[in-house]
Amino acid sequence: MKAFFRVSLPHLISQIKSEGISIRRRFVVYIISAIALVLSLILLLLNIFGILNPTGTQIMDVLDTQLLSYANNIERDYDKAAAHAISFSNQLENGIQKYLTEHNLSFENLRNHADSLSALQRELYSIVYLNMQLAPSSGAFYMLDTTVNSRSEMPSYNGIYLKYINLYSESTVNNEITLYRGSFSTAKEGNVTFHSGWNNEMRTNFFDACDSAFANGKHYILSPTVEIPDTWERARYVYVPIRDQRDRIIGVCGFEINDMFFQLSKKTNDDRLGTLIGALIDENQGIFSCQFNSGRYNTIAPENINITEKDGNAVFDFGIETCIGKTKSVILGDRTFTVALMITEAQFNALVQRGQIKTAGIIFAVMLIMFAYCLFMSRKYVAPILRKIEQIKYSENTGDQLKIREFDDLFAFIEKKSSVLEEQLASLKAAKQAAEEEAARARENYEKALEEYELAKNEVLHLSDESKNEIILEDYEYFICNLKTLTPQEMRIYEMYVEGKTTAEIASIIGIKENTMKYHNKNIYSKLGVSSRKQFLRFAALKQYRDGKGEQTE
Amino acid sequence: MLEGGNMKKTLAFLLTLVFFITALSGCGQQMPSPANPVTLTMWHVYGSQTKSPLNDVIDTFNHSVGREYGITVNVVSVTSSSAIDRALAASANGEPGADAMPDLFTAYPRVAEIVGQENLLSWNDYFTKKELSGFHADFLSEGYFGEKLLMLPVAKSTEAFYLNKTLFDRFSAASGISVADLSTFEGVFDAARTYCDWSGGQSFLQINDYFHYAYVGMKAHGSEFIRSGRLRIEDEAFRTVWMPLAKAAIYGGICLDEGYAAARWKTAEVIANTGSSADVLYQPTEVIYPDNTTEAIQAAALPYPMFTESAPGVIYRGGGLFAMKSDNERRNQAAYIFARWLTEKENNLEFVQNAGYLPVTDEALSALFANISRIEKENYRSVYTSVDTMLDSYTFYALPLYDGASEMQLDFEKNVNSVLKSAHNQYKKLISEGKSPEKILDTLAESSLAELKSLYEK
Repeated sequence: MKAFFRVSLPHLISQIKSEGISIRRRFVVYIISAIALVLSLILLLLNIFGILNPTGTQIMDVLDTQLLSYANNIERDYDKAAAHAISFSNQLENGIQKYLTEHNLSFENLRNHADSLSALQRELYSIVYLNMQLAPSSGAFYMLDTTVNSRSEMPSYNGIYLKYINLYSESTVNNEITLYRGSFSTAKEGNVTFHSGWNNEMRTNFFDACDSAFANGKHYILSPTVEIPDTWERARYVYVPIRDQRDRIIGVCGFEINDMFFQLSKKTNDDRLGTLIGALIDENQGIFSCQFNSGRYNTIAPENINITEKDGNAVFDFGIETCIGKTKSVILGDRTFTVALMITEAQFNALVQRGQIKTAGIIFAVMLIMFAYCLFMSRKYVAPILRKIEQIKYSENTGDQLKIREFDDLFAFIEKKSSVLEEQLASLKAAKQAAEEEAARARENYEKALEEYELAKNEVLHLSDESKNEIILEDYEYFICNLKTLTPQEMRIYEMYVEGKTTAEIASIIGIKENTMKYHNKNIYSKLGVSSRKQFLRFAALKQYRDGKGEQTE
Repeated sequence: MLEGGNMKKTLAFLLTLVFFITALSGCGQQMPSPANPVTLTMWHVYGSQTKSPLNDVIDTFNHSVGREYGITVNVVSVTSSSAIDRALAASANGEPGADAMPDLFTAYPRVAEIVGQENLLSWNDYFTKKELSGFHADFLSEGYFGEKLLMLPVAKSTEAFYLNKTLFDRFSAASGISVADLSTFEGVFDAARTYCDWSGGQSFLQINDYFHYAYVGMKAHGSEFIRSGRLRIEDEAFRTVWMPLAKAAIYGGICLDEGYAAARWKTAEVIANTGSSADVLYQPTEVIYPDNTTEAIQAAALPYPMFTESAPGVIYRGGGLFAMKSDNERRNQAAYIFARWLTEKENNLEFVQNAGYLPVTDEALSALFANISRIEKENYRSVYTSVDTMLDSYTFYALPLYDGASEMQLDFEKNVNSVLKSAHNQYKKLISEGKSPEKILDTLAESSLAELKSLYEK
C-alpha cells in the first residue's frame, strides 16, 4: 500500500518516458478509460432524461406533486364545510321562523327573554347537533344578534356552540359532545356536558370575523385562525349569515375547524420524505395566520412567522427553525389563502447531503468494481502473458499455452528464434574457449622466453661485472671505434648476437649457410679486434650496458 | 502499477472501508435526528378543555430537545381516562372510524391488557438503572408487569376536598357550619343536608369517585373493600361507610347526576366536591347565572375528609406513560428521549405544578414541597398545601391491579349512582306524601344497601 501511495505523478511520467509503459499498466488504463466513458454516457443520459436530478430538486418535485393533491383536498374539504354551512343556515332560518311564528313573536321580541331564547335553543339544538355530525369540523354553532341581558356590560350573542370532546381522530362519529356556549337548560335537555370554558353566550368582541360576518353578509367566510376563548385551542371558522324573511342578517352560523382537527384530517406523508408539514396560510398586513398539520408549529405566534421566496421555493422562517417547501394559492370563501407543504431545512439539508453521499458512494462502488475488474482481468489476462515472458526470459519453457492464438504464435516464434541463437551462442562460446586456450599457451611461451631472456641478460651482466676489470681499455675502444666499419649485413649479425641469438638462428633468419656465417664472423672479429666469441660478446654486452647507462644519465 | 499482493491489500482495504461506512451509517439510523425525523402521536389525559399544561411542556420539548433530535410529539388531548380506554380499545381492535394507535399514551395500568403487553415498549430496556433509581419507588412499582416496566410514571395525583369558599362563606354565616367541620365525612354529610335545606333543595357536593370513598373508608375501618378481585359489599365495614353517604345523597345533599363537578361549580349546582388534586385545573373562577350575570369565586382545596376516630387515608393515583413498541428502533429511541426529558426534575415540575399533580422523582417531590409558597396561583398553592398536610399524617393507598378492575370500578360508580338516585326519587315522592324524613331516610338507606348488595350477588 505504501508503495502505491509513494508513486508520484512526475515520477511515473519520467518512468514512462524512460522505460515505456508496462503492458499491465497500459491494460488497466484502457479498461478504466473504457468503463469511465460508458459510465459518463449513462450519467449523461440519465441526466438528460431527468432521472438523475440533484436530491434538492427531487425533494422539491415531490413536494410540488404532493402539494397539488393536498391543496385540492383542502379546497374540497372547505367547500364541503361551506356547503354544509349554507344548508345549516337554511335549516336554522326555517327553524327560527317556525318558532317565531308558532309563538307569535318577532325576532326583536327575543331580546332579554331568557326563557324564549332557551326554548328557541332547545328547538334548534338538534339542527346544530346533526349538522355538526355531517360537516368535516370540530364544532358547530349559531349566534343570533340578540341576548338574554342587553344591560350586561359585556354585549353578547345568544346561540348554541357545540364542540367535540376527546378529538383524537379525523372521524368524529364516536366522539362525545360538549356545550361550549348555550343556556343551562339546553345542556340539561340535550343531556350534554358543559365545556370547561362554558358560558351562556358568546361575547361580541371575541371574534372579529364573526362580527364582520354580521356586518357584510357575504355568502361564506373562512376566518383567520383565532384563539378560542377559555380554551387552549385555536381554530378557523366557516361563517355563513342567517337571515330573516326580510333578508336582514340576524345571526351567523357555521363550523369550527380547530388546529387539532386540521392536524388529524390533513396529515400527509411521503414514502421518501416521511411526515410532511402542511399548512393553510393567509396573510393580513404582513402577519401570517397559519394552521398546520403538525402540533409543533401550531403554537408559534403569527408575528414570528416569516415567509420568503428563494430559488423558486418558499422559505418559512418560524423563529425556532426554518422550513423549505412549495406553496399554492387557493380561494376559500372571499379570500385567497396559501396552501403549503414543507420539510425542515435541517431535514432538507440532510437529505441533500445523503443524496450526495449516495452518489459518491455509487461512484466509489463503481470505481471499486472497476478496480476489482481490472485486478481480475490482470490476473486472468495480463499475468499469464507476463509469466510466459518471464519463462521465456529464463528459458524455462514448460510448454504451457496461453490459449490466445496470437500470443501463442508469437511465443512459439520467439522460442524457435531463441533456440537458433542459443546454438550460435554455443559455437561462439567454443571458439572463444579455444582462442582463450591458445592465448594462454602463447602467454605461457612468451613468459618462458622472457624468463630465459632475463636469465641470459643477468648472465651477461654477471659476466660483464666479472670481467669488467679484465677488459683492456685499448681493445674495447678499438672495438667501439671499428663498429662503424661493419657492413650492414655484419651489423645485422652483430645486433642479432647482441639480442642473444645463436649462430644457427642468425644464419636461419638471414638465410645464409654456416660457412657464410663463419666468414661473416671472421670479418667481424677482425674488424673489431677481438679474438674470440667470448671477448666479442663481453665487449658487445659492455657497450649495451654503457649505452643503457648513458641513456639513463641523459 | 501495483504488484499482485499490493492490489489484493488495497482491494481488501477498500472493501473494509465500505463495510465500516455501511455499518456506521446503519448505526446512525438507529437514533432519531433532524436528518431522520420522527413524529410521535400522543394521547394523554393531562389537561382540561381550557388548559393543557402537558401540551405546553410538550411544546417546549418540540422546540428544544425535540428539534435537536428531529422528534415531534404531536399531541391529542383526551380529557378522561375512560375515554382514552375506549379510544385505545377501538384503535387496538381496528374498529371502523378509529384512528391508528398512538405512539405514546397516558393511561392506567389496565390498558396494558387492552393493548396487549407484548405490543408495549418496556421502558427498563431504555432507561438506565441509575435513571430509574431517581423515581419515587412506589410510583415506579405500579408500572411493572412482571419484569417489564410498561408504564412510566410521569405525574401522580391524590385526592382533595374542593370548596367554593365564596358561596360556602354565605352558607357558613347562616348555618354556623365551618370549614373545620368538613375535615370528616360525617361533618361533610351533615353540612350537605343542612345546605340542602338552606338553599332550597340544592346539592352541596359531588363525590367524583364512590369507589375511592369506599376503598379508603373500609381501610379506615380496618377492612378491605376488594378481596380476590371482588367487592366486599356484604362486609360490615362497607355498611358503616355506606349509611352516612346514602342518607346525605337520598336527602338531596349530594349531586347524583352524571358529569363533571367543575361544570356544576360554574352554575352553582354544587359548591363542593371530592376529586383528584388535578381537578384544580378545571376549577372555574366564576359562577354564571341564567341571566348571564357572573360572580367571581374563591376556591379552596382541603385535605381529603377522614372518617371519625379512624386513621386518615387517601388514594394516590394517576396512570403513566405507555409507548407502543415499534419495529423501527428510531421510534423507540424517540419515545425514550421524550420520556426521559419529561421526567427530568425541572420539566416534570413545570408540568405537574401547573396541573395539580405530583412529580415522580424523589428530587422533584422534595423541591415541590420545599417551595409551596412560591407557587403563584392561590388555588394551586392551596392544593399543594393540603397534599403536604396529608403527606404528614395520611396513609396513601394505590388501587390494586387485577383483571377487570377498570370495568368493576366503572360499574360500581354507575350502580351507586343508580341506587341512590332511585332512593332519592322515592324519598322526594314520600316526602311529598307527608312522610317523616328521618324514618324514610333510614329505611331508604337500608333498602339502597340491600339493592346494591343484590346487584353484586348476581
